[in-house]
Amino acid sequence: MRRITEVFGGRRNLLFSGLLLALLFILLLDLFFVHHIFSPFVYFYLCFALVIVFYGIYPLYVSRRLTRYYWDRTKRHHLAVIGLVFIIFLVAVAIFGPFLTQDPTKVDFPNKNLPPVGFSAEQSTYDRTTGQFITRETPGTWLHPLGTDDKGRDMLAMLVSGTRISLQVGLMATLIAIFIGLILGVVSAYLGGWADNALMRFTDIMMTFPFFLLLVFIVFIFGPSLWFIILAIGLTGWTGTARLVRSESLSLRTRDFIMASKSLGASDRRIVFHHLIPNVLSSVIVIATLSIPGVILAEAALSFIGLGDPTVTSWGLVLQAGQRSLETAWWIAVEPGIMLFLTVLAFNFLGDGVRDAFDPRSQV
Amino acid sequence: MATNNTILQVSELKTYFFTRLGVVRAVDGVSFGLRQGECLCLVGESGCGKTATALSILRLVDSPPGQIVGGEIKYHNENLLRSTGARLRQIRGNRIAMIFQDPQSSLNPVLTVGEQIMEPIRLHLKLGHRQARDKALSLMKQVGIPQSAERMAYFPHQLSGGMKQRVMIAAALSCNPEILIADEPTTALDTTIKAQILDIFRELKQQMNMSILFITHDLGTVAGIADRIIVMYGGRIAEAGSTLDIFDQPKHPYTWGLLNCLPTIAERREKLSPIPGMIPSLIDPPEGCIFHPRCQWRMSVCQQAKPPEYVILGEHIAACYLYQKAPASAGL
Repeated sequence: MRRITEVFGGRRNLLFSGLLLALLFILLLDLFFVHHIFSPFVYFYLCFALVIVFYGIYPLYVSRRLTRYYWDRTKRHHLAVIGLVFIIFLVAVAIFGPFLTQDPTKVDFPNKNLPPVGFSAEQSTYDRTTGQFITRETPGTWLHPLGTDDKGRDMLAMLVSGTRISLQVGLMATLIAIFIGLILGVVSAYLGGWADNALMRFTDIMMTFPFFLLLVFIVFIFGPSLWFIILAIGLTGWTGTARLVRSESLSLRTRDFIMASKSLGASDRRIVFHHLIPNVLSSVIVIATLSIPGVILAEAALSFIGLGDPTVTSWGLVLQAGQRSLETAWWIAVEPGIMLFLTVLAFNFLGDGVRDAFDPRSQV
Repeated sequence: MATNNTILQVSELKTYFFTRLGVVRAVDGVSFGLRQGECLCLVGESGCGKTATALSILRLVDSPPGQIVGGEIKYHNENLLRSTGARLRQIRGNRIAMIFQDPQSSLNPVLTVGEQIMEPIRLHLKLGHRQARDKALSLMKQVGIPQSAERMAYFPHQLSGGMKQRVMIAAALSCNPEILIADEPTTALDTTIKAQILDIFRELKQQMNMSILFITHDLGTVAGIADRIIVMYGGRIAEAGSTLDIFDQPKHPYTWGLLNCLPTIAERREKLSPIPGMIPSLIDPPEGCIFHPRCQWRMSVCQQAKPPEYVILGEHIAACYLYQKAPASAGL
């Protein structure tokens, strides 16, 4: 038992791998025997949750001192705290919101173009009895607190659904990108020589690809599925991370503590995972928080130009639908716009705060 | 002169660095033995190959550009230059441990001090978490870290330089190594802390009978702790002997120069006399004795061939043609 634990490098890794294998087992069952135990996204969520719990929350809990230290430093950044609160709110909305709101796809023409509560809008309707257009003042109702769009769909429900989509895309694509970038960067720096050269030239090639064009291409070839959009953004967005992680690891590699832990008998694997990665993790977290808004915007932009997944109600899609009726129903375009704006701002604030907290030079 | 309590025998070690400008012969044929329970000091200016020698022993020379091109390093009866990576990792930290010069940069900034002391314990002794923790605590007490239980959870930046160096020593001592290599462990510390750290080394030697290879550029530091001294110059041994030999009857002109550089309280000197000239480039070293361009006693022979190591008396050897009449050494 002890030997097995050692091979995996500790009880935590063993448990993590075990649960991952169990998940794989269910996935195989799903694929070949019983169909649709979970939807594909659920597997991804579970993986994500496992990673977060074992390599995020658990270490934070174990080194409470460090957590407290960084929290104290982040706390000084008021905007960052506001950003964090807003993000937590968004996550809660994304997880629980869709169960509480109406169906975002339910069309209800009689109630179309209703303004948000507290506003009223003039609407022209064709009156059959008189055969004339009547202009009426319609106030917002609490039935649709944020109004409805030109097909009578509930704006609140659409925004909540959009939150889920945007966070999905933002978190998952960033996770994929960060993971690839981190591993490639550290390995490239640690190995050096021709391996470093090959990996970095590959990164160069990836960097020269016009990212948005590639996205359009992928969507054009494989069809506009949210999955492909996430994968496409994730698989192309790692280059900056890889570069940064590499350059940081290069300078870390020559630091004495790497030599010191070698002199105490640490293996290469241990040095990479125990000494290099924890040291670059702070900057990786910063890049991650700062790149999430970019990814969210990229997805919105894709939806906006009509290359998004048409089966999901994302902010970009609503925004695009709203721009056609900007004169009659401004709220359709403005509301997802505000959500995008606030979300991007919140992640950027948080990113800034985290960067300041992790920067040892900004000792306050 | 390998006596039977020699636990580490370095013979004709050659470590070269292959740089773009040429081959740097950082260590060029160095031989010495380290005995059980003695403190052997390697002394010399910066760039004379002290650290390269130490790193070569643990096979930690960065490659590329560094490479051990020749010689033999025998630990008990095992040639470390032929050992596999896995075997070397068993030896490092467990049988031979090393302490580095700068405690500021030798500790991982994102791991707690406790974790770093426990690292070699968990790697080599295969203890559980609790036992490793207890061991780390007792080690911290041993090297004189007060409030050790609390300090376990400290990060390196919360400790002073002296405390950090104690942590490094604790980590190096954790598996009771036979040999401790200390690469300028006191250079980055101020004088009072230096004295305390030197006391720790002295205790280690006396109480645990540990062999210490102490590397320094400071002859003053050496005097109080060394049993034997090797003076290195330009990747070669200039003079070697007991501490008394080196301080009382130095034979090599370079040693004379080094000793002249030391300030003394006894006599009042207006100026310290430095050794004239610069350390030669090790890429393109001077012909013959590498010290001859700076030597006031140079003879024509010095410019032609490298001097062999002549035995002055017993273990006292000097690589200088001034002692041509003495028999050539068979290796220390």
